[in-house]
Amino acid sequence: MASLLHPDRVVYLVRGQKRIRAPLSQLYFCRYCSELRSLECVSHEVDSHYCPSCLENMPSAEAKLKKNRCANCFDCPCCMHTLSTRATNIPAPLPDDPTKTTMKKAYYLACGFCRWTSRDVGMADKSVASGGWQEPENPHGQRISKLIEYYQQLAHREKQERDRKKLARRRQCMPLAFSEKYGLGTRLHRQRPGAPIATLAGLSLKEGEDQKEITIEPAQALDEVEPLPDDCYTRPISLPEVTTLRQRLLQPDFQPAGASQLHPRHKHLLMKRSLRCRKCEHNLSKPEFNPTSIKFKIQLVAVSYIPEVRIMSIPNLRYMKESQVLLTLTNPVENITHVTLAVCEEDDPDDINSTSKVLVPSKELVLAGKDAAAEYDELAEPQDFQDDPDIVAFRKSNKIGFFIKVVPLKEEDTDVTVSFRMRHDFRNLAAPIRQSEEGGDAAHEAVWLTHHVELRLGPLAP
Amino acid sequence: CLVFFQKRKTNSMLVCARTVVHPKARIIAEAGPIIIGEGNLIEEQALIINSYPENIMPDSEGVEPKTMIIGTNNVFEVGCVSQALKIGDNNVIESKADVGRNVILTSGCIVGACCQVNTCEVVPENTVVYGSSCIRRVQSEKPQPQTLQLDFLMKILPNYHHLKKTVKGSGTPLRN
Repeated sequence: MASLLHPDRVVYLVRGQKRIRAPLSQLYFCRYCSELRSLECVSHEVDSHYCPSCLENMPSAEAKLKKNRCANCFDCPCCMHTLSTRATNIPAPLPDDPTKTTMKKAYYLACGFCRWTSRDVGMADKSVASGGWQEPENPHGQRISKLIEYYQQLAHREKQERDRKKLARRRQCMPLAFSEKYGLGTRLHRQRPGAPIATLAGLSLKEGEDQKEITIEPAQALDEVEPLPDDCYTRPISLPEVTTLRQRLLQPDFQPAGASQLHPRHKHLLMKRSLRCRKCEHNLSKPEFNPTSIKFKIQLVAVSYIPEVRIMSIPNLRYMKESQVLLTLTNPVENITHVTLAVCEEDDPDDINSTSKVLVPSKELVLAGKDAAAEYDELAEPQDFQDDPDIVAFRKSNKIGFFIKVVPLKEEDTDVTVSFRMRHDFRNLAAPIRQSEEGGDAAHEAVWLTHHVELRLGPLAP
Repeated sequence: CLVFFQKRKTNSMLVCARTVVHPKARIIAEAGPIIIGEGNLIEEQALIINSYPENIMPDSEGVEPKTMIIGTNNVFEVGCVSQALKIGDNNVIESKADVGRNVILTSGCIVGACCQVNTCEVVPENTVVYGSSCIRRVQSEKPQPQTLQLDFLMKILPNYHHLKKTVKGSGTPLRN
């Protein structure tokens, strides 16, 4: 029965650039545009970087320098779990008296999951608990950094030339007075060959470094390749010594083929992202800066604005026979919401997935507001809604259960899917209240929103 | 050795010195005797069973009782099931692992948590079986014997559990 509450059973349609069907828990609601938004119709921006194991925050510039890796934490090269530092006591000779030995602490890295230790690859134990572990150097590191410098310089030079042409064209239509005021003329005068203009240098080159032309040797193609060893085909493979593809590709610098060359790498940083509506540029989701906090500064999720439909119980569904399905509607806002359900019309372009005919209650359903204090307030009178017992099965604070009638139309083995349109009123609390002249309560205007909902009820009964 | 009760046996069993068997561990010698070596740590709800192979009915003719031999310094963590007939030294069978009857564990093996080793083979030394798909790898050194833990338990557990007196003597079955 718990599978009825699975989020994928009830999906809402988002009308963005692409038509996306997603459960309400994965959608956002832009209350300025009054529309549902999914992850594909918002722009994602990086907020901050943090390490998932030591929860250390890192500004973006520092993260870029360190190649998005944490300085203190390591990943097991074997199973990608986080490595922990363990200590042993080893006898070591005293510095004063070489004949006597004393117990000194030696630290090594160990994985709790696959029991890999740093001693497996031959890394010596360190005497410092943290900071003593070095990653091996990339053998091609120098060549790569030289290539990157050369291409950065090339790109910078091209950008300079492009901008010079643009400025030269613009300068002819502007009078001299303007150019002095905005400093265009002085900047152009200052342009010496090779010296970067401050605003145009978007790349990280220092002044004056440009004087030296960086040349690179072109890569040379080799004719001869190292021959395979003679016993390549006859030597039996010892599987524990060969690295898996995943282990190998996690270290693209070395890609070691043998398990004895798998060195631990620093842990990748994760990032917190904020989401922004593409149409109105308002923030939909903005997390807090602190990595230990899971709260949000701005959290415009759909579940806190749109009533949620959930399946409560399904009878045995039979082909071409009408059965009653019990659904629940939950009201997330604090004021009373009126919901009307309507059947999708014949030519509805969104109605592509449904395999059955549905009869929804025609009367308007009224949902009470969500009252956080209701469970503690014993003296509160239960609100009196005149409920038609044929339609409304039960009512409990801000939730009601109601019946719909379903007639499966297809006899195939696929799940029976039902779709209908839900229309509800939404009071926009974000918009400023217009002050009425009488000074009375200016009620927020209700906007009627329509959503296309699809339910997956499950297979036909055998 | 310290053996804590609530275990039952039908056949004979020999448990050597410095082994700690926790309460609710079950050592069942159904189809033959079990010999457990020194320095072992058998935690709660572990099940060491010398059972009949599946297709042979008990009490049928021609079935020889096979002895289950468990070596020294092994650790049977919480909830594991071990039916292996021969277990060497310094092995660790982690929580909820399942070791079948036809497996022979040599020394230094680690069977990871929730891993099932039901094959018919001799597991080579210093092998680690881990992960949901029971991947294997060889480690360079065997796991440390849990001497510290054993000493600690031998001091503390008598303070918290009742101990029944048993008849001392080597090779005699322990009475419940």
